[in-house]
Amino acid sequence: MKRFLHHDELARDSRFVRQDNAQSTVLATLPDDVDTIVNTFEQFSEMIEGSVKGTAAEPLFESYGPGFALTILNEPIDPDVPASLTRLLLRMHGIFVGEIQALEGAARSLWDFPDAPWDFKMNMARQAWDEARHVQIFEKLLNHLGGEVGMFPESTFLFECACSEEPAMRVAGVNRGLEGLACDVFRDMIKYAEKTGDERMRQAVDYVLADELTHVRFGSEWVREFTKDDPEHRKRVNEYRRTVDKQFSFGGARSDREDAAIPIAWDDRLEAGFTEEELKDLAELSSSGPTKKTLVEAARILRERHLAKREAAANGSASEAQS
Amino acid sequence: MSEQRMYPGMTPEEKTTFTPYSAFDIPADLRELTGRYDVESMARRCRNFRYAEEWLLMMMGGWIATIPEMPVKTGLGKVIWETAQAADELGKRLPELRCGTKSVDASESANEGFAALIQSISEPERPDLTIEKLAGPFDVLMPHLVDVYERTMRETDQICDSPTIEILEDIVRKRRRHITWGQEVLDRLCDTDALRERRRARAAALNQELVKSGGVTGTLAEDRRALN
Repeated sequence: MKRFLHHDELARDSRFVRQDNAQSTVLATLPDDVDTIVNTFEQFSEMIEGSVKGTAAEPLFESYGPGFALTILNEPIDPDVPASLTRLLLRMHGIFVGEIQALEGAARSLWDFPDAPWDFKMNMARQAWDEARHVQIFEKLLNHLGGEVGMFPESTFLFECACSEEPAMRVAGVNRGLEGLACDVFRDMIKYAEKTGDERMRQAVDYVLADELTHVRFGSEWVREFTKDDPEHRKRVNEYRRTVDKQFSFGGARSDREDAAIPIAWDDRLEAGFTEEELKDLAELSSSGPTKKTLVEAARILRERHLAKREAAANGSASEAQS
Repeated sequence: MSEQRMYPGMTPEEKTTFTPYSAFDIPADLRELTGRYDVESMARRCRNFRYAEEWLLMMMGGWIATIPEMPVKTGLGKVIWETAQAADELGKRLPELRCGTKSVDASESANEGFAALIQSISEPERPDLTIEKLAGPFDVLMPHLVDVYERTMRETDQICDSPTIEILEDIVRKRRRHITWGQEVLDRLCDTDALRERRRARAAALNQELVKSGGVTGTLAEDRRALN
């Protein structure tokens, strides 16, 4: 078995559909400019349409056009707004596949780094078990909400971004970047469950969040250990983690902005071993994307153009049928 | 009447009156001070066992991403953690067996043949090879390890080496559960004659390599002769 796996090689059963990771990558680099965002998403329109075909996200594409992710990502999930269940399921499915990739990332570290210290292997083995339970937990929660595995396409963006071939960067990406994002998302899910009175979801996600804090701690400790006595190495690892954090901010959807869909879970992150300084840096770099106003305006234009295109296509077919 | 002495004094008259039992009387303990392995050879066995456990851990970790069946992916998570704990406990025994305080992560293959067997077991990679992946650990290596661990527990000095026995007892208990799980998964996956034949052929080839290597301790043939 070879060392290091490309994200395309993550094995899935026949229920799963892949989504091109380019969409998520682009989201992380968008400027605060409506025209650029609209043009970028129009370029990707065909690819986005292809990736949602036959999945539960197809109606969202039909209603909102290629910018549907902008609408979904930039509105906090509120049980009182329309389509909240579809959006909740989309997020829950995203978490489910994220947990699969976290399992694969942690477990793969056991094989990819055979000469790593024994305590590192123990931590990764423990994390593999935890992530395996998280996959099971989120499959149950997905079913609990009326969803099912494979109902939305899977982006392997998380594995692609976080799984470096260098051990310090691997733990910085997986245990601090990815698991840090998990802390933010799960704190938000707990708030949602409290608001809707869903005790099953609240309790399960609370346990998962507790595990994630432990995984972030593993990451903090191993980054320190792998880079000790080598400030240059530590600097490079820190830069890598910042790049991952920027990508995992999805253009500001996860940030400390007032209008963020997923706020940074400061208290949980502090407990997990992030420093105040690191969190301030995260808040700054994740908030530097387009504003919510820009994204909403871009989403509106994309929707209008999409619906106009659909109407024109329908009229064209009707004229053809008549002639 | 003189007061009952609670502690011995300096003269024969100053003994306590507590009844003298052997250390093995209550409850009756028939164990003898005898065992097939001395400290050095038990330390070597622990390093051999740890080698197998550590490689099992690493290869199963590598496979999770390449296995499409979701219950196998998630089921392996727990097996991996318990395998790590097994390797960890065996490692912690090494300094106690005079291998030095830094020996906790020492692993040693019994010979090149066993190291080659481990590489053969870890070879399958493609997502359509779940049967070949699982047959190695669950049909061949783990049952072999359980056999050897049980024999080691029976044959080592029951009094002097009981810390090793305690460790192996715990590993065997969990390992039996892993084997049951893995073989149930394989039974389910191999639902045609052709698939059952794939499993059988894979296990047979690896078993042959295992026997040739002498197993985890490299002493399979000697152990079998000793049994006869």
